Amino acid sequence: MRRRRRRSAAVWARVALITVGLAVAGLLYAFPLYWLVVTSLKSKAELYTSITLFPRSLTLESYGNVLIDSGFWMLLRNSVIVCLSTVIVTIAVGLVITYPLTRLPVPPRLRVGVLNWALSLRFLPPIAVVIPYFAIVRTLQIYDQPIALIGIYSLFNLPFAIWMLKGFLAEIPLEVEEVALVDGANRWTAFLRVLLPLAAPGIMAAGIIVFTFAWSEFLFALILTATPNAQTFPVGVQGLVTQFAIIWNQMAAAGVIAMSVPLVLMVVARKYMVAGLTFGVIREK
Amino acid sequence: MQRITRREFVKRTAVTSAAFTSLPAILAACGTSTGTSNKPSKLVIAAVKGNEDAPLKKVVGKYKSETGITMEVVEFPYDQLFEKLVTTFQANGSSYDLCMMDDPWMPKFGTMGALQPLDSNFGFTRDSDIPTVVYDVGTWPPPHGPVPPTEQGKTQHLYGITIVGNVEMFMYRKDKSDAPKSWDDVLSNAAKYNAANFYGYVIRGKATNPVSSDSLPILWSFGGNIFDDNWKVQLDTPASIDAVTFLTRSLKKYAEPGAENTDAADRSRLMAIGQAYQSTVWPGEITDIVEDPSVSQVKGKVAYIPIPQGKSGKGLGMMGNWLLGIPKGSKNGSAAADFIKWMLKTDNMRNYVANGGIPIRKSILNDSSLASANPYFQALAQSFDAVPNWRPRTDQWNAVETSYGTAMNAAVAGQMSPQAAMQKAAGEIRTTMKAANYPS
Amino acid sequence: MSRLVAEIPAPTGTEPVRAGRRRRGRQERLAYMILLPALGTVFVIVTIPFVIAVFQSISSDDGTLIGLSNYGRALSNPLLYEALRATGFYALIVLPTEILLGLAFALLVHRTVRRPGLRATLYVLAVLPLVVPPVAVGVVARLIYAPGYGVLNYLLQSAGITHSEIQWLGVPILAMGSVATVDIWQWTPFVYLVLFAGLQTVPRESVEAAQVDGATWWTQFIYIELHYLWPLFLLILFFRTADVLRVFDHVFILTGGGPGTTTQLLSLYMYRIEFKFFDAGQAAALAVLVLVSISILYALVTRALPLERA
Repeated sequence: MRRRRRRSAAVWARVALITVGLAVAGLLYAFPLYWLVVTSLKSKAELYTSITLFPRSLTLESYGNVLIDSGFWMLLRNSVIVCLSTVIVTIAVGLVITYPLTRLPVPPRLRVGVLNWALSLRFLPPIAVVIPYFAIVRTLQIYDQPIALIGIYSLFNLPFAIWMLKGFLAEIPLEVEEVALVDGANRWTAFLRVLLPLAAPGIMAAGIIVFTFAWSEFLFALILTATPNAQTFPVGVQGLVTQFAIIWNQMAAAGVIAMSVPLVLMVVARKYMVAGLTFGVIREK
Repeated sequence: MQRITRREFVKRTAVTSAAFTSLPAILAACGTSTGTSNKPSKLVIAAVKGNEDAPLKKVVGKYKSETGITMEVVEFPYDQLFEKLVTTFQANGSSYDLCMMDDPWMPKFGTMGALQPLDSNFGFTRDSDIPTVVYDVGTWPPPHGPVPPTEQGKTQHLYGITIVGNVEMFMYRKDKSDAPKSWDDVLSNAAKYNAANFYGYVIRGKATNPVSSDSLPILWSFGGNIFDDNWKVQLDTPASIDAVTFLTRSLKKYAEPGAENTDAADRSRLMAIGQAYQSTVWPGEITDIVEDPSVSQVKGKVAYIPIPQGKSGKGLGMMGNWLLGIPKGSKNGSAAADFIKWMLKTDNMRNYVANGGIPIRKSILNDSSLASANPYFQALAQSFDAVPNWRPRTDQWNAVETSYGTAMNAAVAGQMSPQAAMQKAAGEIRTTMKAANYPS
Repeated sequence: MSRLVAEIPAPTGTEPVRAGRRRRGRQERLAYMILLPALGTVFVIVTIPFVIAVFQSISSDDGTLIGLSNYGRALSNPLLYEALRATGFYALIVLPTEILLGLAFALLVHRTVRRPGLRATLYVLAVLPLVVPPVAVGVVARLIYAPGYGVLNYLLQSAGITHSEIQWLGVPILAMGSVATVDIWQWTPFVYLVLFAGLQTVPRESVEAAQVDGATWWTQFIYIELHYLWPLFLLILFFRTADVLRVFDHVFILTGGGPGTTTQLLSLYMYRIEFKFFDAGQAAALAVLVLVSISILYALVTRALPLERA
């Protein structure tokens, strides 16, 4: 009896400890996000008073300032154009490379070599690449053009796409296609009508994740653009951290907009996110 | 279903991926503007984001209604504007038809040959209502002071016209004391009025450009300098170290916490919410913050004067003019020049002032009807008359400022002694200048 | 579709072996015909910048060859070593913290949370920070740490813990810490997700057997689970090291490398050489050095990874 009570006390202590730990972790996790959203809803006048944890009045004025007065809707448009194009190029090239690797008999060494090489691209520090890439952009006269970003984003997302698509294509049994081939279809139609629909969810997921990666990219966009002709949204966000003006609410509003797009997309592709980040080692069943 | 060969399959794969890969080009093309014509419908200005370009943004609507030309103002934070302009000039991009330039950038752009000459190409001449120093600062090679070795013998041309007549000045709370005459007065007032949550002096100590701008007037007023007339580095001389010690040790005692991270916005905010006694100030901070009733609690309580005297017996203000120039890459040079001429017209400049702009015409600065709305005009006119100093006219300025501003920041933060900081900066700058073939 | 699969005739024995081999050969050729052009193009596109970097690194701005002097300048710049030290220091803070915290959460949730709904919620919550653009994270961090308007100082002072403003971004060690917390906030969930997934692969029988034998919380971890997690630690270390070398965005926004050069990590240093000092030669030399050393590093560590390859 006594023993049991002591034991339950120990259990209680442990539960309490864990609860406190989780509460602290939860707070550290959530507060930054809360603060970002709350700051974005404050009015300019409120910024000049002392800090208020709960805004006295909520207003969307900063969102209007950012999107309309500062013209950031143009940057949103650029981001969408660049990201969609990147997804299309990356997935198309990724399929061209992974299709033979997974559906046709190739020597294992070639397969391993290609995958390894793709993985090594993941290790390239962007800053080391952008220095020579800038020279190329200069020569091709595509400075401040979306195409310059699309090119480099596609390159940097390709390794990821190759690994993810490889995983998805390999999961589909070879027999599925062979049946179509025996039924008289050629490889092209078998690919288009049989394989692609089966792999579609995976391809969609890979596309969404490439989209979010491209959406977040900042360094290349910062260096390779000059005007709203090609600037992407993160460049605009960063530009709001300025010298004189006190516009933290606009800064926060831009931050909220920048993160809302990937967050919404993640609701769709959340199952594949970890697979993407670990190159398919961790996979949701 | 018809059966196709393997070759056909490869071909179709290739065609499909080609179609996919060219799609972005098509998409991208939708985003780009169409070709150039003699009368552009749009001019793009690269501008610095903040209150330097805010009035400009307000008057471009009027320009559009008069001429039909849309002025697209593309804004960047201060450091990035310079990097972006150099990068664009290197890429010989036609992205910008006009660019706003801080005056210490003139040497880099002049040396690069990045701008179109305004005098020979577009017929700009000097106007007697505008201070000479304003034209001098837009001229390359510089009309006075040391000239970089590579630039000697080049023909002088006007490359930039000031649209923000910034000269660094001084502000203090006139409701508490009289104007300081010297930096000694500044120090004793700082000690006298320093209190809890009220700082005797605000140091704008953020690394690189901010702390460099904040400290140079003191350095000069104390007889120190970055270079002498022969490009010899002077930062480790006793006069320079003395000035740095004054700012980072004596005044620092009464300065706001976190001075090493304070930038202009934080400085004018402290002033506006009534938590600071005095500091240096750029005109741009005045109308927008310190004298703006919607945010300021000290409107009417602050006075603006030229930089106080230092140990050299002089108080030297610093030029921080923002100029408009026309990049070589622009395909709309003459339309851009028309816009600059439009900005300079007296009526338009009055309208610009009404929108918060900082004028350069003496007739406007000395117009008593504008003085109450713009309490700094008199001090600014005086500062122009006294011929403020400008930052060394070398294309290496950005590197020099980075070295100097990083060391100053370390001194403000207390990470380094004034002497050690200046010796480090001097060493780095000597290396930079030597690598750029300046006499050492 | 599943019906189709079920109707597949057994491939073995229906075709003569020789025909099968010939078909295999044809398919292999087809594979090469698709692969080679695509791979070749990508390979060339990847290689061109490297070739350009090498060329830039041995020539001056006007294109004349000047030998290795750019490398000499790059390697003799003391700021390079400060940047490397800062990067190493940053890695030493963030990697162990993220791994330990992530491990703790993974174990905790694995052992205590049984409801699938709650697990799914935690999963979504963990994915969330991973997709927030680093630029936005930098903005959040500024709103928290910045002098004057940073909310952290306000909170500490209202709670009576401190009485004057702490300069989170002004004091070197605090600035590094602040920058690191941003990384930890964003990437600990990644470690959690990977290790949590790893824990699911531990066979239930061996855990139950150990529990019957009286294994404690701790021994169960050391003797059973750690065995399954080990390769994943390598994987995490591998990807996170790659990430640390490319960290740029949030530091750029939060401190810009300051105070002084305390938080000037390798990426920021290279940015500064190229786009602040406009020293294209030295920057290219640095780029080549970094690319080469990373390739070597990559070749060394890649073998140890638990990636499926064949």
